[in-house]
Amino acid sequence: MSVRVLLLLMVFHAPSALAAEADPLQSVMWEYHHKGLLNSEPYVFDERVKVQVPPFAEDSRQVPVHIDARALGDEVVRIEAWADPNPIPRIFTFTPGEQVVPLVAIRIRVEQATPIRAAVLTRDGVWHIGSAKVDAAGGGCTAPSVVRAQPGWEDRLGEVIGGRFARGDFSRLRLQVSHPMDNGLVGGIPEFFLNQAELRDADGQVLAELELYPAVAENPSLSLEVKGAQDTRLWLRDNNGNEFEAAL
Amino acid sequence: MRLLLLMFAFCLTLPAHAELRYTLQPRQIADDVWLLEGSTDNFDKANGGNIVNTGFIVTAAGVVVIDSGPSRRYGEAMRAAIASVTDRPVIKLLLTHHHPDHVLGNQAFADVPIAALAGTTELLREQGNAMAENMYRLVGDWMRGTEVVLPSETLAPGTLEIGGRSLRLLALRGHTGADLAILDERSGVLFAGDILFYQRALTTPNSPGLDVWLEDLDTLEALPWKRLVAGHGPVADDAAPFVQMRDYLGWLDGLLRDAASGGADMNEVIQSPIPERFAGISLTRYELIRSVSHLYPRYEAMALQRVDE
Ligand SMILES: [Zn+2]
Repeated sequence: MSVRVLLLLMVFHAPSALAAEADPLQSVMWEYHHKGLLNSEPYVFDERVKVQVPPFAEDSRQVPVHIDARALGDEVVRIEAWADPNPIPRIFTFTPGEQVVPLVAIRIRVEQATPIRAAVLTRDGVWHIGSAKVDAAGGGCTAPSVVRAQPGWEDRLGEVIGGRFARGDFSRLRLQVSHPMDNGLVGGIPEFFLNQAELRDADGQVLAELELYPAVAENPSLSLEVKGAQDTRLWLRDNNGNEFEAAL
Repeated sequence: MRLLLLMFAFCLTLPAHAELRYTLQPRQIADDVWLLEGSTDNFDKANGGNIVNTGFIVTAAGVVVIDSGPSRRYGEAMRAAIASVTDRPVIKLLLTHHHPDHVLGNQAFADVPIAALAGTTELLREQGNAMAENMYRLVGDWMRGTEVVLPSETLAPGTLEIGGRSLRLLALRGHTGADLAILDERSGVLFAGDILFYQRALTTPNSPGLDVWLEDLDTLEALPWKRLVAGHGPVADDAAPFVQMRDYLGWLDGLLRDAASGGADMNEVIQSPIPERFAGISLTRYELIRSVSHLYPRYEAMALQRVDE
């Protein structure tokens, strides 16, 4: 082995050995969000937290994000999701109860190429971080509203289309809500977005809580999974106090 | 110091040495019918967006050009390529549809009528600037000086008699909503525009629906063509491009339909296996990712019902 190759190998090996907990995506924003969103609490980068995004955003206003922490099983307490450099980084906070699977699929807006993070808090107080990167021409956060350009959108506000799909022992719930999800960054239109959702059982008991932030795309698309085949209802509220409900 | 100056001089002259130049080699595919064949790759800074097929027909009255390539520089190179095989003047440019790789070279044809379907002009008016911007991002300096020029003439379907030749014009919709195909009746060469992709995955950003596209294929295949020029991919003398298009469109339609009725999320759909028989088609995974973004929401909407109360 030549000296040059040896040197090269050393250069490549040294950092990975030194920094086991270094951000695998090397985002300059990691420490900032660790402090701001995770309150500087203990964390590990954990490949069991699967974040799936397309390699590039064909439409920066509707980027699909699929977060799956099933490998952490019943230890999951809460999931925080965000896009590192977005003007509005936060995507959602998800608190699944015992009957709900730690899995969320949702579509978001991105302003530029970005890491997408899912931080999964387990019962022992540790955050397990999963990441993925999506390339983007960008501008999704500041693009004019598609919903508001459609005549009569106000009449459709809060309409929900949805379905329930068997997935082995689970049921996947998919739905899409008509809502402009104004993020306050476009054309002087103030923030107007769905910020709260609850999945409830037939008796109104809360099965899971979901807080949403305006990084979520217009007409939000959402997939969740529940154990068994019980009837569920989704309750939604926006920051103007409008409430909507759907049966799944 | 001398070395430093030399290096400085070298840096200054570098751009001139690195002059970006399209190599356009006109190939005769029938009497007086010529093709400029692009690659089946994606846009990048190495190819300057020369991934498209353009062509021209030399008539008694002058040259009719079909599509003008991705950039002003391409359009200029195309004019030079045309002049290398005929002394006749260019008299008309026909644009098959509004996509940037087919139209943005039209600045080089500003001295002749630029003709397109009305829908193409409308789409170019709406989307031209954004598409041009995206092209600058994808291929960089090749685009220098390129600006959107809107067509100056509106085409209607029917027969265009020009310089003793009959060109049958078909107004189709499957690829963008306004797609022109041109059959040169004398030679039987069919310029199908992007209704046909061959050995290159089709693109769907403006498609009104894969069912519409499939109908267009029937319309085109029924014409008395002898030679097929796809918008992207090699020339064919048999129906192979039609067979491949139907197979691929049918697969894509079925994939999206089954995924939606099974409750799949977009990220699951883009990872779907691509059948082995499409292995010879370039960019299938890349275009599947794009098509899921363009088309999957419609399939989802069909698979979901109103559930609000
Ligand atoms: Zn096209």
